[in-house]
Amino acid sequence: MKPGGAFPDLDLPDHTGRSRLLSELAGGDPLALFTSRGWWCPKEQHYLRGLCRLQDEFEVAYARMVVVSVDPPEVQSAFRAGLGARFTFLSDSERRWLPQLGLLETTDTLHDPYLPAAFTLTPDLRVHRAYNGYWYFGRPTLEELRRDMREITMAVRADWEAPPA
Amino acid sequence: MRPFAFVVFDGKHLSLDPRAPGRRLRIDARCVEGDPVRGAFAHVCALPDKAAALRYDEPEVQQARRDVLAWWIPMLGDQLVCLSTFALDASRCAGAVTVARDPSLFADDPFLRLFAGTVVPTDSFCAVAPPPGPPIERYAGAPWPGGGF
Repeated sequence: MKPGGAFPDLDLPDHTGRSRLLSELAGGDPLALFTSRGWWCPKEQHYLRGLCRLQDEFEVAYARMVVVSVDPPEVQSAFRAGLGARFTFLSDSERRWLPQLGLLETTDTLHDPYLPAAFTLTPDLRVHRAYNGYWYFGRPTLEELRRDMREITMAVRADWEAPPA
Repeated sequence: MRPFAFVVFDGKHLSLDPRAPGRRLRIDARCVEGDPVRGAFAHVCALPDKAAALRYDEPEVQQARRDVLAWWIPMLGDQLVCLSTFALDASRCAGAVTVARDPSLFADDPFLRLFAGTVVPTDSFCAVAPPPGPPIERYAGAPWPGGGF
């Protein structure tokens, strides 16, 4: 999962319990994907509140956001509502994808959660940039996410340069 | 798949027959191009009056879409069959339809703030994965949440 590589097309239930494919959630748009420890972590709470501020830009910019954690769907749904998020959470409560992605946070043996990480992806799920968020400041800032979305959008939208008059 | 299909609404009945009497409304084509769910209920927040329309870009129409993503879809849960706004053209919205297996939550429909609701029993609509959010913008004039680039 390095820049240029393919990100797996995750098949997981969302926060309402519906089965989802990551490619379906991307829907032809650039995608920012975040793996998250879970609702109980203050760092996750703070970071996701930041993403909720950014969603106001994503909602008009044809870009998507997805969060993956080991929280069950009903817990994600409550957390999402509390945050005011309007993007999708995917639940890997069975830890089906976690080992395949190599993102187990080994230092938390109580929750066995995801290591916090972020991946900005092209619509066909190619990795544009990858971020290791084990230490909080390793996560992408909102500015870095804007930059990545701009770079991906420039690359995939044929009409990035507005047609001349 | 084409970006939209048409339904016709006369104030009481909702039809997929383009020759039916009533108002022709664009709908996300995925809602009517698959295996229909029998015994469902459509909550039609729209009026037969042809002048009843708002621009998609009006703040109240934008906020209704945000509310759909934030809590309407989670509230409906497994009851949800599909939903779509009604488009008239590239810029105007005539309301929306939510199709569910149980009509008991329709009083909370965010689109009721825009147009009055009518509950119509229906066997015509298909199960469609709800929009993942956060986009509320439309794709080339398709009725939200349909379409794509």
